[in-house]
Amino acid sequence: MKHILLGAAALAAVATAAYAGRPAAPVIQARQANYKQMAAAMKGINDQLRGGSPDLAAIRPRAALLANYGVQVLRWFPHGSGPEAGVTTRARPEIWSDWPGFERAGARLLVAARAVNRAARAGDVAALRAAMPALRQACSACHDDYRAPEH
Amino acid sequence: MSGAAPKVRIWDLPVRLFHWSIVLIVPAMWATHELDRMDLHILLGQILLGLVLFRLIWGLIGGSTARFSGFVRGPRAVARYLRGRGGPIFGHNPLGGWSVLLMLLVLLTQIGLGLFASDEDALYEGPLSHLVSYDSARTLAHRHETFFYVLLALIAVHIAAILYHRLVRRDDLITPMVTGRRAAGEDGRALAPAPLWRFPLAAALAAGATLAIVQLL
Repeated sequence: MKHILLGAAALAAVATAAYAGRPAAPVIQARQANYKQMAAAMKGINDQLRGGSPDLAAIRPRAALLANYGVQVLRWFPHGSGPEAGVTTRARPEIWSDWPGFERAGARLLVAARAVNRAARAGDVAALRAAMPALRQACSACHDDYRAPEH
Repeated sequence: MSGAAPKVRIWDLPVRLFHWSIVLIVPAMWATHELDRMDLHILLGQILLGLVLFRLIWGLIGGSTARFSGFVRGPRAVARYLRGRGGPIFGHNPLGGWSVLLMLLVLLTQIGLGLFASDEDALYEGPLSHLVSYDSARTLAHRHETFFYVLLALIAVHIAAILYHRLVRRDDLITPMVTGRRAAGEDGRALAPAPLWRFPLAAALAAGATLAIVQLL
């Protein structure tokens, strides 16, 4: 009986650990998929701006996605979804150890993405071109500080 | 020493300038990637494209030893050369001729992959990446990274061949690629240079073609 109890306790401990580890994976995967969508949206806007006559109908949904994701982005990083999750992620622990800094980086993205979205909705290509560099800088500044290198 | 041996011209200036530009730029391409200076990497890649296009044009209208028609030989000539029965060589040997073509093809492929590639954040994109989707641009970027090893392998073979000629066959290939001259052979062969005006013409054609590719497409 004692052995059975011990066995059951051990099993429960393993199961609990496995369960505790599990929720991080879908969070991380969804986060990565979202970032991919943002990069694809960036590229879509770049592609249009490269030519002389950008297609605003192609730009608007992408600018909207960037602005929407800019609102959500901090929520993609719940506690426990860092490297300790045991799933491949390049999210650095500094995100959580320096949460106020990460919040500022997120706010910077939101401001820049909203400016891009405003220009796209207004159909103002000159303003859109002018707004893009700040968005690129917001992306890369945060990646420099809070994302581990690819290799 | 009983005076310097007579020398003849073998490689014209455009061939040498092209060669040493490649020697400088290919490591610079690697370094700019490693240092995350992708802005410079993309700029240098376009210069490299222009250089390779120049070499292709020069292979048609350049000096005698630069021309494909002069050094691209059939498999029988290559086999004879490998058996040591090819007779004296002036310019690229029959095997080396193919390695020149292969090197140009590999460089062009690597540049071509880079033209369409994008980094994962779409912050740095090749000048033609707007023609393909994000996913395709990422796939091509990964191929671009992998294909670099093909280029590295070819460079290793190239350097090994130069060492073999130097150490085993006692033939210095590097000095002529710098000075353009080598010791005269008994057969009295020498470079038949192209008229001077063809150099700026080929350079202008290559620059024009490069700009057309990266700007207009």
